[in-house]
Amino acid sequence: MAVRLSSCSLSSSTSYLAPYNLSHHGNLATRVCFSCDYVDHGRTNQSRRFALKASIVQPLNAVSLHADTVVHTPAAEHVEIPAKEGYIPFFDSDTEESTLSIIVIGASGDLARKKIFPALFALFYEDRLPENFTIIGYARTIMTSEELRNIISTTLTCRIDKRENCDEKMDQFLKRCFYHSGQYSSEEHFFELDRKLKEKEAGRQSNRLFYLAIPPNMFVDVVRCARRRASSEDGWTRVIVEKPFGRDLESSRELTRELRQYLSEDQIFRIDHHLGEELVENLLVLRFSNLVFGPLWSRNYIRNVQFIFSEDSGTEGRGRYFDNYGIIRDIMQNHLLQILALFAMETPVSLDAEDIRNEKVKVLRSMKPVKLEDVVVGQYKGCCEGDTSYPGYTDDPSVSDDSLTPTFTAATLFVNNARWDGVPFLMIAGKALQSKRAEIRVQFKHVPGNLYNKKFGTDLGQATNELVIRVQPDEAIYLKINNKVPGLGMRLDRSDLNLLFKARYPRESPDAYERLVLDAIEGERRSFIRSDELDAAWEIFTPLLKEMEKKKIAPELYTYGSSGPVGVHYLAAKHNVRYEDYC
Amino acid sequence: MATLSSSSAHCPSYAYHRLSSSSSNGQHQSVGFTSSLPQRAKISLQCLKNSHQNVVLMQDGPVATTATPLETETPFKESKGGLLSGTSLEECKDAVGFDNNENEPSVSITVVGASGDLAKKKIFPALFALYYEDCLPKVSIYFSFINPGLSFCNSNFAYKGYLRNMVSRTLTCRIDKRENCDEKMEQFLKRCFYHSGQYDSEENFAELDKKLKKHEGGRVSNRLFYLSIPPNIFIDAVKCASLSASSGNGWTRVIVEKPFGRDSESSAALTKALKNYLDEDQIFRIDHYLGKELVENLSVLRFSNLIFEPLWSRQYIRNVQLIFSEDFGTEGRGGYFDNYGIIRDIMQNHLLQILALFAMETPVSLDAEDIRNEKVKVLRSMRPLQLEDMVVGQYKSHTKGGVTYPAYTDDKTVPKDSLTPTFAAAALFIDNARWDGVPFLMKAGKALHSKRAEIRVQFRHVPGNLYNRNFGTDLDRATNELVIRVQPDEAIYLKINNKIPGLGMRLDRSNLNLHYAARYSKEIPDAYERLLLDAIEGERRLFIRSDELNAAWALFTPLLKELEEKKIIPEYYPYGSRGPVGAHYLAARYKVRWGDLNVEP
Repeated sequence: MAVRLSSCSLSSSTSYLAPYNLSHHGNLATRVCFSCDYVDHGRTNQSRRFALKASIVQPLNAVSLHADTVVHTPAAEHVEIPAKEGYIPFFDSDTEESTLSIIVIGASGDLARKKIFPALFALFYEDRLPENFTIIGYARTIMTSEELRNIISTTLTCRIDKRENCDEKMDQFLKRCFYHSGQYSSEEHFFELDRKLKEKEAGRQSNRLFYLAIPPNMFVDVVRCARRRASSEDGWTRVIVEKPFGRDLESSRELTRELRQYLSEDQIFRIDHHLGEELVENLLVLRFSNLVFGPLWSRNYIRNVQFIFSEDSGTEGRGRYFDNYGIIRDIMQNHLLQILALFAMETPVSLDAEDIRNEKVKVLRSMKPVKLEDVVVGQYKGCCEGDTSYPGYTDDPSVSDDSLTPTFTAATLFVNNARWDGVPFLMIAGKALQSKRAEIRVQFKHVPGNLYNKKFGTDLGQATNELVIRVQPDEAIYLKINNKVPGLGMRLDRSDLNLLFKARYPRESPDAYERLVLDAIEGERRSFIRSDELDAAWEIFTPLLKEMEKKKIAPELYTYGSSGPVGVHYLAAKHNVRYEDYC
Repeated sequence: MATLSSSSAHCPSYAYHRLSSSSSNGQHQSVGFTSSLPQRAKISLQCLKNSHQNVVLMQDGPVATTATPLETETPFKESKGGLLSGTSLEECKDAVGFDNNENEPSVSITVVGASGDLAKKKIFPALFALYYEDCLPKVSIYFSFINPGLSFCNSNFAYKGYLRNMVSRTLTCRIDKRENCDEKMEQFLKRCFYHSGQYDSEENFAELDKKLKKHEGGRVSNRLFYLSIPPNIFIDAVKCASLSASSGNGWTRVIVEKPFGRDSESSAALTKALKNYLDEDQIFRIDHYLGKELVENLSVLRFSNLIFEPLWSRQYIRNVQLIFSEDFGTEGRGGYFDNYGIIRDIMQNHLLQILALFAMETPVSLDAEDIRNEKVKVLRSMRPLQLEDMVVGQYKSHTKGGVTYPAYTDDKTVPKDSLTPTFAAAALFIDNARWDGVPFLMKAGKALHSKRAEIRVQFRHVPGNLYNRNFGTDLDRATNELVIRVQPDEAIYLKINNKIPGLGMRLDRSNLNLHYAARYSKEIPDAYERLLLDAIEGERRLFIRSDELNAAWALFTPLLKELEEKKIIPEYYPYGSRGPVGAHYLAARYKVRWGDLNVEP
């Protein structure tokens, strides 16, 4: 998610040192913090419990700051809703007492408008939000609540529009939306926000969810202010952050460290919206509730796995954020790697978030850092087709003319554990390619001693089974099998055992953001990224990224709308993989 | 299901049969059919692989006796050693390997008992379809051998009128859809001849031989006899054909249809009698189920897909179900059926053959003998059926919506007190390393609520399933299942567990689906086409060898005898119902749940 910023990075970066120091001296600050610290107490305990379960989880940062204050917490006040069990806690008996406030920081931005508010509305429409909820948009722009409502109302999606009394619902929803303008680094403004929130909460138990739809350089400021001035006193406070989570291992650790000054691990919800996609959610169900896949899921039967993510559009004038990150950081290190981890992990002890994330970390830590020779990078160039001409990446005015930022990358990775030793995992991500698709392809090995080998011609790679999980477009799962062409004689064909979601489930699937926001509200952490996962993910890619930047590796240019640099086929060939660049 | 039941209605020929056949003596044996190698045979590759004894050559060339405008119209390509690969015109031509040579071998196909239902509904349409698609050798002659009791004024002209009438009525739309069907039919009919004679008259067959020789015009002669006659005259016809009308310099083959006896003894006697006149490799015992597209595909699925390989054993498979049901009864033609019953009619042959293909080990090669060796091994590893592992039923009259459906015993051709089962369910076991303890359930019945034939493979539970909570109490409902539907609507689907899209975590069993009609627009050829072509090409894979037949009978004979001795009363079930409930209790005993009766497809 490229969050575009009208950022003033200077002001925010300077502002974050000063208030940080203040907090240690300011009485006001400690008082406020005190009250919210007991919330953290519960979380801290939980983290310890998880740590016991899985010794491999290394506590990255000792949360000593919290631990101190925790001591003072009155035990009697442990009425807060335990996040882990809280599926929809608000529907329970305490409907009357608890409230939920969702504070969208950066409410005027693209992400908020296009994704977060529509997702919130969809949840509201489906009665997934607790009865007493308030949504507050927070941004620097000066505007009224009414203006915010006008902005929001234009982006609510058609899934909802299809249904009845949408207008009515929309009105009800908009009435719950308010706007509060303020600086991201101003504790004072957040204090005002807190007052406003208290007013809405009207003395009931307060749960607060902050959604940081802002550029990463302001994360810490906002978290600091929110934490000190606007966190819940008697309920939970959670913060959803969007990528990028740093540019490399060091900056990511730094960000984590800073966030952890104000938040405990279980208050941080690092969103990777791809983990909220329907078919990614389904991946675990497929793997673990179907016997037929169980015996196949290892190096014994799987020849290679491909993770493909391609977009048919370029940066289209909005390349400034992207140019600083590149496709590896934007797609591979997070989305594709997360999916890989889900794909390759061992069976977790249970479906609990911590158990699943423990297994994912194990996969990531079994992986060697990606080597430069296992990577192909590309950048799209302009081209003309008929009357339309498509711009090259460096034609983007927000991108420097000599940018070497890759817009396409293919990489082979290996998971060095007993299950996956030697199986290449091929990742491919790119912009401005011929099609828009995201899919997982699992290619199985040849049938040993295949009786029908003669029927397949010379390339046996063409004749193996393949399982395809297509995330988009048109969600589908299909299994390519060899089959006899009906008719006389014996001609074989690869056909599909197919499950097209559209055909079987005509109802529209919820957007990934709906699922993830709901999970955050319910305290379900399964689809959010834990610090140690993030750390492990960066360890895989950071050496490569640094080497590329140091050596100024020139990307292979490919034409806008093409199938990408041909280098990918040679990389694939090196590892005996066959990559089909069309579906 | 083409059974010979129909021919009984049509067969005045019964009157002519004599049971003299088995007494034929040694001297005849010496004149038995030859299966010599044609001298000038050009060998088409795909045939070479499959047939050791008879290398068939199918080439074209002008046919002396029949008008063949065809040759000039369809220029044939050079022969290629290509694979026999499909039904399209081109592919067939390639396979057959046409070559313009005057001295081509000829193939003549003589349908003995050509006036019967089977011939009318299946054999001639299949022949025509093959002819239409140029899958038959260029020099081919089709003779109908008909008992004189059914007279066409003894003229070819009248016969052609009859045949045209008959064939055109039964020709399938697959052919009708295409162009110049009429023209093709004319050409086809020009090659059809008619010979009237007694099935047990060597003289009459000698006359046929003369006629055939005339048409063959001195070429190498290959002769295929299709016995579309009741089993009691098999031997007579085989004897006469063998002694008086077998090929002098090419191959002679005989296709026989079930029933192959009523039990081990009668089957062995039949085989012995046939072998007086024929070698094993001249006998083509047809089981048209083996010609079904998805049964053919079964081996391809198993042996060319890695993903099924690890699953195909007792370790992962909980049970296998072979289901065959018809939605109609005997409908006034129960004479043949009543003598055999559903177990002999469907189970002992069709279902058991499919079971053997399903369960066999990987053969050394795809050669007919290698496959049949593996099938025999499966059959011989099976436990003979026990009476308590069998449920038999018979349909009774049922009135629904003002329509009354007759009971089996209401059929005029069936005795009132008949105990013949029209339904049977059985549990079978293969005592080998791969399948020990896995129940193979078979179910076959007439007058049930649906018409279908399918194989269902139910897999085991996921051990330690993380999602068990989502499945409720009946974990059986949550296992994977592979379904191979042979008819109607050929399909393969794999039931998998899947998350229902949406918020929350609700699971669903959905299908990974391959629906043939959707993927393959081409109409699937009838089983008879495939089998006839295979017989012409000497491909024996889909025909049943004597030892297979013996082994199959050995499994069922003790049970059949016990049923008859003890006069086991069948459980009655209403016409159009799901069959006797006893089938469920039988299944339950082996912890199986019939997959075809679930609400979901």
